[in-house]
Amino acid sequence: MNDIPEMLDRQAAWQRSRRLLPWPVKIRMAEMAREAIKQLRDDGARSKPRKDDAR
Amino acid sequence: MRAAGVVSNYALFGATAQIRYTEPLATLDADVLVTLPDSGRLDILRPLYEFCEAGGYPIEGEAIRVGAWPVQFIPVFNTLTGEALEQAETADFDGVPFRVVGAAHLAVIALSVGRGKDYARILALLESGAVTREEIAALASRHGLAEAWIRFKRRFVDE
Repeated sequence: MNDIPEMLDRQAAWQRSRRLLPWPVKIRMAEMAREAIKQLRDDGARSKPRKDDAR
Repeated sequence: MRAAGVVSNYALFGATAQIRYTEPLATLDADVLVTLPDSGRLDILRPLYEFCEAGGYPIEGEAIRVGAWPVQFIPVFNTLTGEALEQAETADFDGVPFRVVGAAHLAVIALSVGRGKDYARILALLESGAVTREEIAALASRHGLAEAWIRFKRRFVDE
């Protein structure tokens, strides 16, 4: 349990280090995140129960 | 587009510009501030859309698809965005020079828009060290946003 704050600090430092990546690399990461979000949205829209499914 | 006279000037802003300074974040489109030659038309963006479409970049609603990105072109809409465009920096994107709005203007434009995600943008820019509180305060003050900055600072920075 005592390791958790240290682990969270390490995780935060790792996340902050991504700031230092070159801009084109970060744009490509954003592009991948964007595709993942679109996929989730599309999947969500497809699996959304229709009103008449509830009967 | 500048060479063809479709836009007079341009600079990337919004989330894709912010990513220059901060961690990458998810965004659905890219925003580009533009100034346009005075055409006297009411539909001022029409020549830009026509130019892009003729070049093989399809129109998708309000945006133009460029590669993976829907790109929205937004004409400068006040003195703040006009200044942001004029003072934009030239960044290198894989060897291609690209005009991008600087951190202080990004923060103050976000302050002027004032949605939750805009406030998060200001905090991310501050945390990255790309801009200081003093720089934001000075720029906000010059554009009539001193009160908005004080409220933001009290709510999110000072506590």
